[in-house]
Amino acid sequence: MAARPPVDRSAPPPPSEIRPFRFPSFLRSRLPNGLKVAAARLPDVPLVSLEMVTPAGGQFDPAGQEGIAALAAALLDEGTARRSAIEIAATAERLGGYITTGADWDVGFLATGLLADHRPAGIELLAEIASSPTFPEAEIDRLRRQRLAEILRRSQDPSALADDRFSREVFRGTAYAHRLVGEEESLARLDRDTLRAFYQSHYGLDGSVLIGVGDFDPEELLREAERAFAGGPVAPPPVRPEVRPPHLAGISVHIVDRPGAAQTELRLGHAGVARTHPDYIPLVVLNTLLGGKFTSRINMNLRERHGYTYGASSRFVARMGPGPFLVNAAVATESTGAAAREVLHELRLIREGLVEPEELDETQTYMIGVFPYTMQTIGDVAKRLETLTLFDFPDDYYMRYLERIAGVTREEILEMARRHIDPERIVVVAVGPADVLEPQFEGVGAVTVWSPEGEVAAARA
Amino acid sequence: MSSHATPELAFERHILDNGLRVVLHRDASLPLVAANLWYHVGSKNERPGRTGFAHLFEHMLFQGSEHVGTHDHFRYIQQVGGVANGSTWYDRTNYYETVPAHQLDLALWLESDRMGFFLPALTQENLDNQRDVVINERRQRVENQPYGLAGEKLHELLYPDGHPYHWPVIGYTEDIAAATLEEVQAFFRTYYTPNNAVLTLVGDFQPENALERIGAWFGEIPAGPPVPPVSAPLPPLGGERRLVLQDDVRLPRVYIAFRSPGYGQKLWYAADLLASVLAGGRSSPLYRELIYERQIAQDVGASVGPYESAGTFMLVATARPGVAIEELEQALLAAIARAASAPPDPADLERARNRMLTDYYGALQKLDSLADLFSQFTTYFDDPAGVSGEAARYLEITPQDLMDYAAEWCTEAERVVVSVVPRQAT
Repeated sequence: MAARPPVDRSAPPPPSEIRPFRFPSFLRSRLPNGLKVAAARLPDVPLVSLEMVTPAGGQFDPAGQEGIAALAAALLDEGTARRSAIEIAATAERLGGYITTGADWDVGFLATGLLADHRPAGIELLAEIASSPTFPEAEIDRLRRQRLAEILRRSQDPSALADDRFSREVFRGTAYAHRLVGEEESLARLDRDTLRAFYQSHYGLDGSVLIGVGDFDPEELLREAERAFAGGPVAPPPVRPEVRPPHLAGISVHIVDRPGAAQTELRLGHAGVARTHPDYIPLVVLNTLLGGKFTSRINMNLRERHGYTYGASSRFVARMGPGPFLVNAAVATESTGAAAREVLHELRLIREGLVEPEELDETQTYMIGVFPYTMQTIGDVAKRLETLTLFDFPDDYYMRYLERIAGVTREEILEMARRHIDPERIVVVAVGPADVLEPQFEGVGAVTVWSPEGEVAAARA
Repeated sequence: MSSHATPELAFERHILDNGLRVVLHRDASLPLVAANLWYHVGSKNERPGRTGFAHLFEHMLFQGSEHVGTHDHFRYIQQVGGVANGSTWYDRTNYYETVPAHQLDLALWLESDRMGFFLPALTQENLDNQRDVVINERRQRVENQPYGLAGEKLHELLYPDGHPYHWPVIGYTEDIAAATLEEVQAFFRTYYTPNNAVLTLVGDFQPENALERIGAWFGEIPAGPPVPPVSAPLPPLGGERRLVLQDDVRLPRVYIAFRSPGYGQKLWYAADLLASVLAGGRSSPLYRELIYERQIAQDVGASVGPYESAGTFMLVATARPGVAIEELEQALLAAIARAASAPPDPADLERARNRMLTDYYGALQKLDSLADLFSQFTTYFDDPAGVSGEAARYLEITPQDLMDYAAEWCTEAERVVVSVVPRQAT
């Protein structure tokens, strides 16, 4: 073989010619009964992903019935007019797939993934579950007990304890304050009648969304959906309760006592913005730079510069209402106070001046470049179509999303930071040994110490 | 057997003069390319008292090389919109990135620099820093995690003292803390060589051009010495091993484990399918019995850890509040006993087979997991074509194979039982 010219290793090699990315084409329609349908053909592998989402998530939990949305959603596939819980699971699993139902804060969802040949049976199963759940007493009882055990488990899980305390403080008095899974007292109150009533008033097809992605003809899916959902549930879309997070007076520190823990779960944050807020896209750019990627300011500071943690990140959680902005890390217990101060420092810094041009450029190139990577599987594409359809975004939303990211300026980043991040009015949660942690927060803010069960153990200004 | 169980996955394979094996699979559906590098070194190549080296390397190799600054590996990849990571297992370590297709050279530059030019950049400071990160990782993932130590203890019992599968992949804190710069350098020279590695590319590229670029970046790296083989006798346990761990948990959990043959052998596939038959999905017999009918468990699962020369078949269940852990253990053992004496329900076997197909196709959808499969089959079996045949190997397993595995391998004398119970107040 002829000798090769040596390569130049001294600097990153130049790129070759860029290959364009196109969002896959898809079909979008609305059935006469109000059900919105979006479908895309991805022929690479013989699989299909089908899902239905309905605005019936935890934000709709009435006071005193916390957890009803999650429990009602979980019960959808636990019995229909035709099949028992096990028969439903066995049907889906025999078709090579799974069936899962549940709720997040926004929506209740029913999803199934199948071998492609079984698509028509999959749509019928989905329609059956959406249209005729029976909420059997035995399954209500079983799932309720499972949830009570889950609450017990969360009281031993430092990460869950931190998340729960954080939500209670940031969203005190709003529909986002409680645990999505519910509370011990509220779960005890939920019975078949209340669950059925919740289903009847929240699961109408008008406002719901059906997504199908995989190896099939989208037109065919549309016809099948029309047939399968013909007798589907009718109800006006429910009115979404407004979430108005309370005003935070300053920096408050909440320590959840976990004696002897080698590591502390740390959270800092406050309320953020809704998914539909006009600032959402530039805000995601800001967050990516600040704490949303490995080389973000916060991770570089806490992990690489100080070695406090295995990883630290921040995010704006997008919901229909203003979800949280939070910084998240598990840190060595002896460095918890120092780590919290470093996070506050980064949040102050980002509000003080313009970010470096290269820093913003790197962030934008990263976000645009990584987008095709997040579009590889049928599940990935289904997720994008779900967002697009649920929020009534235009068909070219994601191509415009990429253009909008590219157009964000340093001045805009500074404006976003000043408008949406406030380190002086913030909640700090640390789950770890209170006797070791408390002295570390001296001078940061008023400290409250909680027991893992959620009782105040001590409060100091 | 359905014909689409063996998808057509065309590939090219090449070997460079220095022994680096190269696999190329073109898929231009997205403007991306995945580069995936397997080094045939894992925790089994370590020795007692110096555990955790292979995993520590997974961190060190992101800390720069002669031409790449300390924090720059991730930065370069992220700058262009790529994703990079690595993982460590008992038998191998992998390093991979998926980048926009026009940045293939960047991925090759970074991977070749750390294969050929890592040692000049290895400093005591870097080592100290990453040891701290790893010790934090161990705290977060193992020590501070409810039930976190159970898997480690179970392994220690299932594989005897001194056997290379005895210690955890992440290593023991005192060993990680004790690693010296000289030892780390020697470990690198021994195992991170072109002749001990496989490089796979999957994505949008022209194969002849890609091969030329791979030759340019990797060709000048000298081959290393032959890699010392790992062989360790694994005598039968010859008696049940039991351990009760107290932990900060509310709900007791029981783990039952048996060994299996190594990955790639027929009864390994039988073991994996049996795990799915017993507890894969809500209509599986164990889920039905423990969760729906008797309502004594909060969750139940079964899995098989694939290793080159063994496997760990494991059943795990968490008790509902107020349920005695012995009751769960008996239910799991009864399921194993039934699996040894009677064939599975045909519906359960069909479910397990279809689920396997779905998982398999699921992995083929992603460039990085497909690349990982090519590297895996080339590293373990020198056979990239094995990727296409993987589903068929499951479909060939018969009900009798499942019974044979359970009867021969899942005996009382060969089992390990670890229970995690709430800490008693002292």
